[in-house]
Amino acid sequence: MRKFTKPTWLAIGWLGLMMFFSLFGWLLPLKSWSFVYEDDLEVGLFSSGHLLGTDSNGYDLLSSVVAGTRMSIFIAIAAVSLGGFIGSVLGILAAYLRGKVDTVMVTVFNVGLSVPNLVLALALVSVLATNLDINQAVPTWRRIIVLVMSLTIVLIPILGRIARGATLSWTSREFVTAARSMGMKDSKIILRHIVPNVLPALIAVAFLAVGVVIIAEASLSILGVGIPDGASWGGMIARGRNDLEYAPHVLYVPIVFLALTVISTNHLGDVVRSKLDSREAKV
Amino acid sequence: MSKISFWLQRIAQLLIVLLLVTFGVSLLLRLLPVDLATILLPVASEEERVALRAELGFDKGPIGYYLQWLGNFVQGDFGKIYFSGGTEEVSDHLKEAMPRSLLLMIYTQILALVIAVPLGVLSAYRSGRRADKIISNSLFALQSVPGFAIALILVIFLGVKFGWLPTLGYAPISDGIWEHSKHMIMPVISLSLGLIATYTRLLRADMITALREDYVTMAASKGLSDSRILWRHVLRPSSMTLMTSAALSMGGLIGGAIVIESIFATYGVGFEIFAAISGRQYIALQSSVAVIALFYVFFNLVVDIASGFVDPRTRDRRVNA
Repeated sequence: MRKFTKPTWLAIGWLGLMMFFSLFGWLLPLKSWSFVYEDDLEVGLFSSGHLLGTDSNGYDLLSSVVAGTRMSIFIAIAAVSLGGFIGSVLGILAAYLRGKVDTVMVTVFNVGLSVPNLVLALALVSVLATNLDINQAVPTWRRIIVLVMSLTIVLIPILGRIARGATLSWTSREFVTAARSMGMKDSKIILRHIVPNVLPALIAVAFLAVGVVIIAEASLSILGVGIPDGASWGGMIARGRNDLEYAPHVLYVPIVFLALTVISTNHLGDVVRSKLDSREAKV
Repeated sequence: MSKISFWLQRIAQLLIVLLLVTFGVSLLLRLLPVDLATILLPVASEEERVALRAELGFDKGPIGYYLQWLGNFVQGDFGKIYFSGGTEEVSDHLKEAMPRSLLLMIYTQILALVIAVPLGVLSAYRSGRRADKIISNSLFALQSVPGFAIALILVIFLGVKFGWLPTLGYAPISDGIWEHSKHMIMPVISLSLGLIATYTRLLRADMITALREDYVTMAASKGLSDSRILWRHVLRPSSMTLMTSAALSMGGLIGGAIVIESIFATYGVGFEIFAAISGRQYIALQSSVAVIALFYVFFNLVVDIASGFVDPRTRDRRVNA
């Protein structure tokens, strides 16, 4: 395997740090993000005791950002794995079976794609998160589930169409025809011959999709329909808008974390894809 | 298959997608765990709610309701927004929001293309050299930064620190060009940076392919200058993908600008949708989403037709397919 370039190592390192924050953030010697430091309001960056400063509520930004990383990364990974799985199954089946199944699937994908991502996510969140008693607030855990479900539904047509396209380029290859003429079962052909070939393309897109979901989640939080009483990067940005005038670092911290993460996932997606292209070129 | 029946089929496909989208949203409203009439009229009497249900067609089942909504929508009746004091027409709201969104979108596209085309040409011409690397890498990073982050940073610097630009609101052109553009500069920059990166990348890739063609070698051996070859001979055949992508991003921009519109309070169509959702105005939501889907599908069709005219090869290929 060719050695990675320096930016790739940086991207892997940053995502590793994010994974560490999400999995082992609770091991760090930090108080809960919602602990209020009443004497330290709007402390600047790199102050003693508050590495990333505090906001006007007295929340420590380092604890907030560690908790926010956990939330944002969890939502992104959950939505991308669910959406990626469902989308690829549908896309691969559509491309392999062709005929009516394909027509129906393509129409469904087109319907999903003709509404802008964020509009679809917003509509789904608002409908799914409605309580029976409309005056009662929706509990946080249910908001998280609703958010993951909505983002999953948004991702299915995007990833499904890509899976379909990738599969189509393999189903007409000779080895598939050969396997079929030898009487191999369809399920086996898909699992043994199609999936391994389509997977790299899907992994490349999954990296990009993580970025899309992180941004979508943040957008929803800014619009006030994300997770209200939990910390996510988007939630921090939404709250930080109040401090925009006098303590802009409250905004810089989550924005930098979010942007670096999205840059890293996009870069890794590109790396996977270019490896794939060179492999294709050799065939 | 003849060309006419190809186009008829294409239009029929798009119509089906439109019908399914609007029907899907309509079904979504039925999925609400709460009665719609109660949400729309929270303090009304039961008789008033029954009357509302009958008026909207809720009592006719999912398909009956959808058909009634569709009939009204086609005739330009987009439904109402319900307040405690009365109602407002959704179409009046959209009439006010649409020009804002369209202007925002047009400025964004113009700015993005004006910057992306020279950058794309330059980075294709110097491909692999330092200028190309600097352009490609910085645009890649920029593309990953979401529009709202750029918007907030612009607000911090241009709006608050230097106080050059107003951070909220919208001014119509009738208030004067300068006032109008002062309100538009930050939203347009925030929306276009991501597009610039996409466009530059697409144009660069296509131009690099075109630069390898024989006719370029031919033009160079005739002694034409590099800039003439680039701008006159290579740019045009390479701009297909760029134009397609630009047209396709139109539909998304109208509705996708929700966050930017809400940060800058440029109340456009995106914001109308957001307001409908947060105010539980589900009829308004249904009609606004339909309008956006209509735009999206319309631009899709425009791309198809335009690409057939610009590049006859795609037209033939499709007809034969």
